Amino acid sequence: MADAPTPVMFAIVTTNKDAVIGGMAPVFLAPNEIERDRIAMWICRITNAIAHDLHNGTVILTVNQATSSS
Amino acid sequence: MSGSTGPINWTPMIIGFAAGFISRVIYLRTGQTRNPGYPSGYITQLALAVIAAMIGSSVLVSLLGKEFTAATFLTLAATQFFNVRTQERKTLEQEEDLILVPRGAGYIEGIAITYEARNFLAMLVALATSAVAEWNPYAGAVAGVVFVLFGEMYMSGPRVGELIDVEPAEVKFEKGSLLYAGPVMLIEVGLQDSRERYLKEGLAVVLKPRNPRGEAALWNIAQRQAIAHEAAAAVGVQKDVGYPEQGVVCRMAMPQGTGVAGLAIIPVEHNIDKLIQAIKNVPVLESGKWLKIRNTKNRKEHSHG
Repeated sequence: MADAPTPVMFAIVTTNKDAVIGGMAPVFLAPNEIERDRIAMWICRITNAIAHDLHNGTVILTVNQATSSS
Repeated sequence: MSGSTGPINWTPMIIGFAAGFISRVIYLRTGQTRNPGYPSGYITQLALAVIAAMIGSSVLVSLLGKEFTAATFLTLAATQFFNVRTQERKTLEQEEDLILVPRGAGYIEGIAITYEARNFLAMLVALATSAVAEWNPYAGAVAGVVFVLFGEMYMSGPRVGELIDVEPAEVKFEKGSLLYAGPVMLIEVGLQDSRERYLKEGLAVVLKPRNPRGEAALWNIAQRQAIAHEAAAAVGVQKDVGYPEQGVVCRMAMPQGTGVAGLAIIPVEHNIDKLIQAIKNVPVLESGKWLKIRNTKNRKEHSHG
């Protein structure tokens, strides 16, 4: 049930487009970190996704298949 | 009433019924499961209490009255109580999708088992009491009280507070985005907005196991889900659809593996005492198959934890 949800990568928001290649998730390019955080938050609120900062200019958004407590 | 020559002697039945009924009703104090919480729930439980106590108290009497058909039917009725557990589990599972911090399957199973066992306990108390009352009504009344108390003590399992120390901790972020409750890393929070909310409004506690049994309970993920649920039920949680990362998280101190757990919450009511009290009152689940674990790391790192 909710104990071990499987995360699915939903979208990628990055300021460094060289750090990301291809994949199944759409990649959103942002000019700077403020804009990146704004886009990431926007998409999170709309899609119920969770943002994770990879600290290389990239934020990934994942959606847990089961609604979890995390 | 106490004529012992007639085919039916009512006294043991009445005393047994009273004992069984009381033993079932005592548990209705809302508490560990927050269930039932509404008058309709109480009515169902009272009805079950009446039926269970009646079955238990009348079996012996009908056997002594040589009413074997009646006794057989009563045992048949007793088997109906097995459905109670399924029923209870179904209700709680359906509720699971409707609440933001789920109870978790382990907690639900625990509630359902207790719920079922309570009915059988009421039946047994009624049966045992009526057996003693058959011999002597006064001894029966005393035995009824003893059985009810014994059942109450025996059936209340341990609470988290008895096995685990719950202490307030500091909410902080390390390496930019890792959320910590004291020394315990919980999750990675990617959004600046969410981090600020955790720092501004969040509460955190550290759960330190006092003994091997407590440590085994904490490693059980169902137990931590139950703790998260009860924490959210006590102080509320500022979480809604669209804010999945702002809520309750309860995780072990993972890279270290010291057996200490941390919990962070963005509460509606900013009250650390209430939070700690609620966590201490969570029942220890039996679904964790690890009974006791002696952490070999504890000797080295206990002072740090």
